[in-house]
Amino acid sequence: MTDTFIIDIADLQKNYDGVEAVRGLNLQVPAGSICGFLGRNGAGKTTTIKILLGMARATSGQAHVFGLRTDLQESSVDIRRRTGFVSDDKDLYGYFTVDEMIRFTAAFFPRWRPDLEQRYRRSFGLPADRRIKALSRGTRTKLALLLALCRGAELLILDEPTSGLDPAMTEEVLQALVSHVAGEELTVFFSSHQIPEVDQIADRVAIIHAGRLVLSGALDDLRENFRRIQLVFDGDAPVALFRSPGVERMDRKGRELTVLSSAGAEGVVAEARALNPISVEVAPVTLKEIFLETVSKED
Amino acid sequence: MLWYKCWMETRWRFLIGLGLLMLAAAATVLAYPQIVKLLGLAPQIDLGGEIGRRVQEQVALAREYRGYVWSQWFRVSMLQMWVVFAVLLGTGGLLSQVSGGGTLFTLSLPATRNRLLGIRAATGLGELLVLTFVPSLLLPLFSPAVGQSYSVSDVLIHSACLFVAGSVFFSLAFLLSTIFSDVWRPIILALCVGALLALVESLVPDLSRYGLFRVISAESYFRGGALPWLGILSSAAVSVALLYSATRNIARQDF
Repeated sequence: MTDTFIIDIADLQKNYDGVEAVRGLNLQVPAGSICGFLGRNGAGKTTTIKILLGMARATSGQAHVFGLRTDLQESSVDIRRRTGFVSDDKDLYGYFTVDEMIRFTAAFFPRWRPDLEQRYRRSFGLPADRRIKALSRGTRTKLALLLALCRGAELLILDEPTSGLDPAMTEEVLQALVSHVAGEELTVFFSSHQIPEVDQIADRVAIIHAGRLVLSGALDDLRENFRRIQLVFDGDAPVALFRSPGVERMDRKGRELTVLSSAGAEGVVAEARALNPISVEVAPVTLKEIFLETVSKED
Repeated sequence: MLWYKCWMETRWRFLIGLGLLMLAAAATVLAYPQIVKLLGLAPQIDLGGEIGRRVQEQVALAREYRGYVWSQWFRVSMLQMWVVFAVLLGTGGLLSQVSGGGTLFTLSLPATRNRLLGIRAATGLGELLVLTFVPSLLLPLFSPAVGQSYSVSDVLIHSACLFVAGSVFFSLAFLLSTIFSDVWRPIILALCVGALLALVESLVPDLSRYGLFRVISAESYFRGGALPWLGILSSAAVSVALLYSATRNIARQDF
């Protein structure tokens, strides 16, 4: 366990009634990063988050947050004291008013930030006296975000923070998040299956598929390393075998051979020259393509 | 603040219970003059069998105001309504919020599950304590209105027996609420257990001397001035065991 990793997960496994929700997950999230936790529905994102917060117990393996074990009652309480959380359902107490909900939450967190509370109350336009059950989903999301951001937390764990919101509201929530993170020293771990929003705010990404981590790293490194190399030949593209590391996929289609590499283009291009293509084009790959490629490879 | 949350979740059940029990207490006292008038007709009633024996027992008890209050209030009306509200106040909590009540938010707070459950139980029992004593204290208050008096110490002793022994139903509903995620099954099952116990006690007289409802109504105190200590301690132990099982259930639960 390294102190610079706020989240450190090793060989985590979780079974629900014989179904493996998480299968040997290994993941580290460095301090100060904004880590997007990407995966399809049912990939194991929410289960992983619940284990981190002590809401579910791992079948095997271990998870640490701030170097504290998540499966011990006392350390789990300490983890939650230092963590802001927004759940997927944004479910709060319907019988409370907005004001009561804020006062209720503030009472649990000694480092509650009244300055941020006032700022977000204003900027989110939260109606103080309205009962939560009468709020729209968008307003409830904003309130849930306020309750997480004002805890004076060192870590924010957000489970699908923008699910169910329209694009304008999504943008508003993401902007609030980005500007908050810019002004505070904290780590953000947020799950999503919305690739554009991960692309927009994350500096790291971890892709989970069927309970396993299939890709993890700094987003800039992934963008730098993933390349699509398109080779065009005079006649039909040859059946080629590349020895360069990082070749994720090859597609032959008529005169074209497309290679997707996760370790830069140089090695593949050098090998491809020997095949005498009439053109070689190297293009960057979007996060969406990386995600789809990684996930489909595992299927 | 957890106390406030628990209060907000249970306040309507509590307030409705308090209102109904207070009305029933007042009605029990104020109906006494009518009962006394009807007592004159009692010798003409001869039903025979177990029902006849019970009617005659009721008539005999009602000839004295203390007997009337005990048989009508502590043994029947209060007991039955109180058990229903004990079960209602015992249901709910973390698991039943899963279907829409901020469970994940609650679990994200820096509080242990034992604390969450403990405060929920303490709030419910506190409300139940009020439901036990306040309506019954109206009996000595209203009795002069019908030219009678009723001892406050009797109220306190009967209420204490009711609360301690009857809390088994609260604890049972509390435990069932950590097993079932809806509110209906805990309510129905706990009430069915209550009805079954009452049926067994009424059908098997030999068993009734050890019966829970006999302890709850403090019959031995009414008839002979002896408190049912064994029954009280046994039912308190059962309650504690049920509440402890509830905490173990919740501690193991994945949300």
